[in-house]
Amino acid sequence: MIALTTPYLWYTTRATGVVAMVLFTLVVALGTLVANRVGGTFIGRFEINEVHRSLSMVAVVFLVIHILTTVADSYVSTGLISAVVPMTSAYKRVPVAIGAVAFDLIMAVWVSSLLKLRIKNASWRFIHWFSWLGFATSLVHAFLTGTDAHQGLGLVLVGLCAAVVALAALWRYLGRPTRAAGRTALSPLASPPVPPRERFPESFPKTPPRPRAGRSTTPLTQRPTTPPPAPRAASPAPTTPPRPTSRGRR
Amino acid sequence: MGVIRRHGSFVLQVNPILCDGFGHCAELAPDLVHLDEWGYPIISPDPLPLADVGAYESARYAERGCPRQALHVAKVHEGGAGTPAPRAGDGPVSRSPRPL
Repeated sequence: MIALTTPYLWYTTRATGVVAMVLFTLVVALGTLVANRVGGTFIGRFEINEVHRSLSMVAVVFLVIHILTTVADSYVSTGLISAVVPMTSAYKRVPVAIGAVAFDLIMAVWVSSLLKLRIKNASWRFIHWFSWLGFATSLVHAFLTGTDAHQGLGLVLVGLCAAVVALAALWRYLGRPTRAAGRTALSPLASPPVPPRERFPESFPKTPPRPRAGRSTTPLTQRPTTPPPAPRAASPAPTTPPRPTSRGRR
Repeated sequence: MGVIRRHGSFVLQVNPILCDGFGHCAELAPDLVHLDEWGYPIISPDPLPLADVGAYESARYAERGCPRQALHVAKVHEGGAGTPAPRAGDGPVSRSPRPL
């Protein structure tokens, strides 16, 4: 009862909002590390994956506290419905609506990840792409709604989180592994980049050299957009069994 | 309060259609999974006894940790002549290690 009439509940809302924003930034960045296959030398790839999964649980807890304290606090008239359904809040209607959209997207990603062993992996992946959209909307919500987000350290923090995730998205696109892209046709990264020959081991089946548009340091934006020629299984390698290439769709 | 008897055996199967070569399984179950030079797992099709708790636990960790859900721990029942029954709709499973 005391908490409902004192500003501490509102302070909790603000603090957990900031912490959730930072945690979700870390979660997205770690997910990018997993997807681009970082690790395996001094830190295991599975360890990055585990930290990504565990940290997402912590972030969701902070997000739930953020929402529940907002609902419980008497300072703003935001109900429990407004946390889920957009445009139902009397307080800052549009910014809170953006936050509701972000919460719905994050919940979809979270629940689908909890059910990961029970649903198709393609479905999980398709839903997981929406984590980018969920983070973007949550950041807009943080900037528009945040009491501390317009000056000083709060503004720096919002900018830092935006920069980190923007860099992560750029690197996710440019540094994506050639082999794994295009697993599902729904993937935004469905057309894989042309694999550089230098990465392959010496025993890789030789394919005829592709004409390149310049030197080997061609920027990724100038690479040919046609799919890579010659499926690897069709290359003349009589002693090598066909590999499970990434071209197959399920 | 009783003795948990672990009869039967299990085998760790990989679905090569789903596998993208993340390599998490080889880190989580290094005794069961070896990687070929392209980073794809090579798993022995021989069943291991369920009594080998360490191997079973690591197989379960690998199944859970696979980012593509390409691994499956299949129970092999007694009298099954060493061939686990494939799950419906699973496609080809348990590639036998061929000489490269």
